[in-house]
Amino acid sequence: MKLLLKSLFTGLLLLSGTPGLFGQSAAEISSKSREVVDLGTMQMDFTIYIRDSRGSERVRQLTMISRIFNDVNKTLVRFTAPSDVQGTTLLIFDNKDTEDDMWIYMPALKKVRRIISSERGKSFMGTEFTNADMSKPNQADFNYSLLGTADHEGKACWKVQSEGKDQTINKANGFSRTISYIDKANYLCYKVEYYDLSGNLQRILTSHDYKNVTANKYFSYRTVMENVQNKRVSEMVINKIDTGTKFQEDIFSPNALQQ
Amino acid sequence: MGLSNFVIKYRWYIIIVTLVLVLLGIIPLTKIRVNPDLESYLPQTMPSIQNNKKIGEYFGNDELLLIIFQTEDVLNEKTLNRIRKITDTLSIMPQFGRVYSLFQGKDIRSEEGSMVVDPVVQRIPDNEDDREALRDAIRKNDLVYKVVVSEDFKYALIILSSDKTVNDDHLMQLIHETLQKYPGDEEIYINGSPFLRDEASKKIGRDIMLLLPIGLLVMFLILYFSFRELRSVLLPFFVVLFSIVISMALIPVFGWEFSLIGVIIPVMMLAIANNYGVYYAARYQDLRASQPDLEASELAKQVSGYLVTPVTLCGLTTIVGILGLVAHLFRPARQMGIVSAIGISFALLVSLLFIPAVLSLLKKGRIHKDLQDGSKGFIPSLTERAGEGITRHPKRIVGIFILFMAFCSAGLFFFKTAPDSNDVLPQSHSFNKAINIMDNSFGGSKMFNVMFQGDVKDPALLACLDKYEQELKKVPGVGTVTSLSSIIRKISKTLNDSTDAGYDHIPDSREGVAQYLELYSMSGDPQDLEQFVDFDYTSTLLTVQFKAETIGEIRSLLAKIEGMAREDSLEPVIGGYTLTDVDINESVEKGQYYSLLVAFVAIFILLSLIFKSFQAGLIGSIPLAFAVFCTFGLMGWLGKELDIVTALISSISIGLGVDFTIHVFWRIKWELAHGNNYGRSIKATLKTIGRGIVINASSVMLGFAVLSLSAFPLIRSFALLIILSLFLCLVCALVLIPAICYWTRPKFLEK
Repeated sequence: MKLLLKSLFTGLLLLSGTPGLFGQSAAEISSKSREVVDLGTMQMDFTIYIRDSRGSERVRQLTMISRIFNDVNKTLVRFTAPSDVQGTTLLIFDNKDTEDDMWIYMPALKKVRRIISSERGKSFMGTEFTNADMSKPNQADFNYSLLGTADHEGKACWKVQSEGKDQTINKANGFSRTISYIDKANYLCYKVEYYDLSGNLQRILTSHDYKNVTANKYFSYRTVMENVQNKRVSEMVINKIDTGTKFQEDIFSPNALQQ
Repeated sequence: MGLSNFVIKYRWYIIIVTLVLVLLGIIPLTKIRVNPDLESYLPQTMPSIQNNKKIGEYFGNDELLLIIFQTEDVLNEKTLNRIRKITDTLSIMPQFGRVYSLFQGKDIRSEEGSMVVDPVVQRIPDNEDDREALRDAIRKNDLVYKVVVSEDFKYALIILSSDKTVNDDHLMQLIHETLQKYPGDEEIYINGSPFLRDEASKKIGRDIMLLLPIGLLVMFLILYFSFRELRSVLLPFFVVLFSIVISMALIPVFGWEFSLIGVIIPVMMLAIANNYGVYYAARYQDLRASQPDLEASELAKQVSGYLVTPVTLCGLTTIVGILGLVAHLFRPARQMGIVSAIGISFALLVSLLFIPAVLSLLKKGRIHKDLQDGSKGFIPSLTERAGEGITRHPKRIVGIFILFMAFCSAGLFFFKTAPDSNDVLPQSHSFNKAINIMDNSFGGSKMFNVMFQGDVKDPALLACLDKYEQELKKVPGVGTVTSLSSIIRKISKTLNDSTDAGYDHIPDSREGVAQYLELYSMSGDPQDLEQFVDFDYTSTLLTVQFKAETIGEIRSLLAKIEGMAREDSLEPVIGGYTLTDVDINESVEKGQYYSLLVAFVAIFILLSLIFKSFQAGLIGSIPLAFAVFCTFGLMGWLGKELDIVTALISSISIGLGVDFTIHVFWRIKWELAHGNNYGRSIKATLKTIGRGIVINASSVMLGFAVLSLSAFPLIRSFALLIILSLFLCLVCALVLIPAICYWTRPKFLEK
């Protein structure tokens, strides 16, 4: 499972592109969008709200730290609430060319277990986000086209469509195409529409509260994914981001999980 | 002014009003809606409806559809490719919520200290070694083995959940188109409520289109061969047509829908409504032959004057008997009782008013002298000989009837009510073949859902679920029992080594359960888990898949679950489509008793009033009791079950059968009043009215025989049993009643 939480925000932008407009190609727009929100090493506290169609809500609080070591993006995600799952920790190695490595530590079991999974396109932690949403998409897998411009909450945006090149790619990602709304002024992505494998609108992602984290780097502090088919909504709210700490590699080891 | 004068005076009004009413009746006919869903007719207060609604609030109301593939080895490359393509195609259709086949199945296992989550089929095997490796992997995986692949690998399943709001016809069209798009050599069977409803709906339409024209043709021929004169054929024939239009029109007028048993309504009208008109046609020809000089209007008046009382009494008793269905618990049976009773009332009124009104306007028909002599032929000689036998050996005849009844009574030990509505379709139908496959090669075709509410993460609740699971698995016929506890145990097997204490064990702490569930929701599809636990972790579902041949087996399992529920404080909600079957069964069974009781009491009162004697009510009820008792007994011997359709037999046969008895009483009484002794009165009765009764009964039975061409086995059984029941009523009225009268000399006949 290519689970890489921070790439949710950058990955979504990579899906967008345009076949030349004012001299910019889709790839260039995507690349700039990615750069704008790529924070590199970071620590983040965030809350996930999962709401069903009847308004019931599950709340999960997590802490995540991430850093790239030798081309392997290593991520540590720890549940801080609710109390019954507190301390449950996931360690993910997002390998470039091979399957991801993943370990879980469950305090109730008091041991680390490696999880090997080839499942993709499935729900991320029971939310409306999928594991594929969390991964960096391979740009070569998609065809990009500019559908025009659109206004999003008073901001002029490019309306960019990306389509999987074949059914296998679509199936792996769990959608057939997306339409992204990217700010012409600063390359920030505000909205992505996801269409299911039969071509119907399935989910709408909206990114809110972009904040300037470091020089020329922005991050959305509230991201909402609404599934228009099953009426469920998942919301991720960033409570704190720290980009200054340089984590040592040894904390990203299965043996360190229990500590 | 008598009715006959009234008819002649207002004949034009009568004709015009009748025709206008019938023409108006045609308008709502176009708005008839067919609803083959038996469950939709159950009262909302039924436990299954209430419980399924409650369970649906937490776990959705989707219905299951199964596609079964049969071949020598479902793991062969072609079959697996076909299943994969069909699964892929169906899974992207928004009409299907969840699509589960071998290709959605996950292989969650423990391997060298790791928890491994893989698709069961990662690659379709193209050689024998890989195929056997896959077979081994499937055998070890209880998420797919005997769930979507049978034990012998001859059957594979695609399980679809479908939204109830989607039209059945549309759903089935999507499935059939997909199956055709990916053809193969495998036998395909389909099962599920949307399929059953779609098939039943089509067959209801087919039945009406086929049975009605055939029935009308048969009726036309019977009338023609009886009267050999167009007016005598057309008048009763129009009464039939008019009453069919009116009774069918009432269904949409009352805002009702046309159910499966609605097929019987027009055929019943066909069989019954012609009776009254036939009496008029016969009497008209008799009078025309005996008094050739009478004017047309005078002929009509005399026919009307002679027949008003007997025809009205016959009509009333039939209406009262059929109204017994109003006491039925099953809504379509009640609706049938009401529209049929009104339809028959209309036929009676049209016969009493419209027929003489038309006859008075027509030129006099030709004289049929050959119809005058009723003493020749097979039927008269048979009834004559019956009369001889009765007066010679009345006690012996009563004894024979008692013996026959005793024989039939033994059949009551084998009398059963249907455990489900599967017989709606023939045994050879894909739907029923699929049921047999589910029963023999998978966990069973029946399902109970048991919903528990509380803190689902509480190990005590899970331990309780585990207890239910283990106990219910021991019940014979139970195939699989699945609940959250089995999922937790499965996760424990993948996270612990077999030597660990936590292996195949529910964690002792709430945190342990919560962490297992969190892990499961991370590593799989949340839909997998949401089949068993709701979003808030406050409700959980235990499913019991089983097979059962009889309603007794189903009730026994239900009693077991209810018994366990009484022992703990969890108060689970029991539902599932098999509980609906149990409710339908109970409503059919109880409804049968209620409608039978009402029909008997009503007929008893009516007979007592007509003949001003309780004794008449008692003796007159004997043929009905005999026929009902013997029919049920013979159903036991023949292995015919009481179901939604056969439960209608008793009320209908009581309503029709009592006519024969009234005619017999009436004639014996008339003969006695004319100075004949009992012996001569009985012989004369059988010789005169006996022939009419036999012809009348035969035409009714022939009318019902048309139902034996129905596409529904239930209705074919009904046809056989109603004919049998009417035949018993007929024999009883012509043989047993005269024998009892000859033996007991009841006073009411001598008044």
